[in-house]
Amino acid sequence: MVNESGILYTIEGLSASILMITTAYLVVSTTMVFTPGDSHIIDMQLEQIGNDALAVMDTPVSYNALSPLESSIKDNDPNAFRSRFLQYINTVKPGSTIGSDKIKFFSEVFYRKGDRIESYPFADSGDVYTGREHMVKVSRMVFIRDASIISALGPDNRPQSLLIEVTLWRE
Amino acid sequence: MGLIISISIFILAIIVNQSMIVGQTTAESVLDFPKSDIQDLRSEIFRMRMAEVDQNPVIEDIQIISLIRKSAIVYIDNTSEILIIHYNNGVTSYNETIRF
Repeated sequence: MVNESGILYTIEGLSASILMITTAYLVVSTTMVFTPGDSHIIDMQLEQIGNDALAVMDTPVSYNALSPLESSIKDNDPNAFRSRFLQYINTVKPGSTIGSDKIKFFSEVFYRKGDRIESYPFADSGDVYTGREHMVKVSRMVFIRDASIISALGPDNRPQSLLIEVTLWRE
Repeated sequence: MGLIISISIFILAIIVNQSMIVGQTTAESVLDFPKSDIQDLRSEIFRMRMAEVDQNPVIEDIQIISLIRKSAIVYIDNTSEILIIHYNNGVTSYNETIRF
């Protein structure tokens, strides 16, 4: 006997088979395995931390004073830079028992001499570098009014703009 | 009923599958935009402008350092009535004109 109760049965069967074949195709074709490191979210957060710490250090504490970053570069004092920078980037919560973050850094100062750019190494976080993690580079331009102390390291003795480049990674 | 449920499970599986790619491209576009470079450049130019120093060597410092270390072309036109800043790093371009 011909009646209509088989139409829905057939259509269900057809759509179920199309669903199964499409699923199997998707599973087989997208075989890229994404890890959290591939998504660069952690790198972006680390770069933001570094940029924020340098921006905070480049802010003068009072009107017409030098910012801590400018005075530590002008007086060539890597220890002052290191302790302040490590405090800014590694503090998780002041007074916490969790401890602190484990970000290490290395920095260099670039200056212009005539038509060329030269550099001298500045502060770093000491220790041994194992180089396991991704690194991020952040930089900040520093305006130095009095370059008499650092002119022994290479820059001209004039008011100038330097670039400090800091490389950060999580150890 | 079973068909509806299986199709909805299939659509949810596609959403979960594409979510990692969405996270990666969002983070990459944030990394590519030079927000802190432009903010840093502006703050440096204003600090230089307020200092009582000869400004042409400092402007040349900024232009050459940006070109060589940050791969960005910077043009600064600085007189007492007008300040023009042009920044282009190949992906993003920024222009600013201030009249005093």
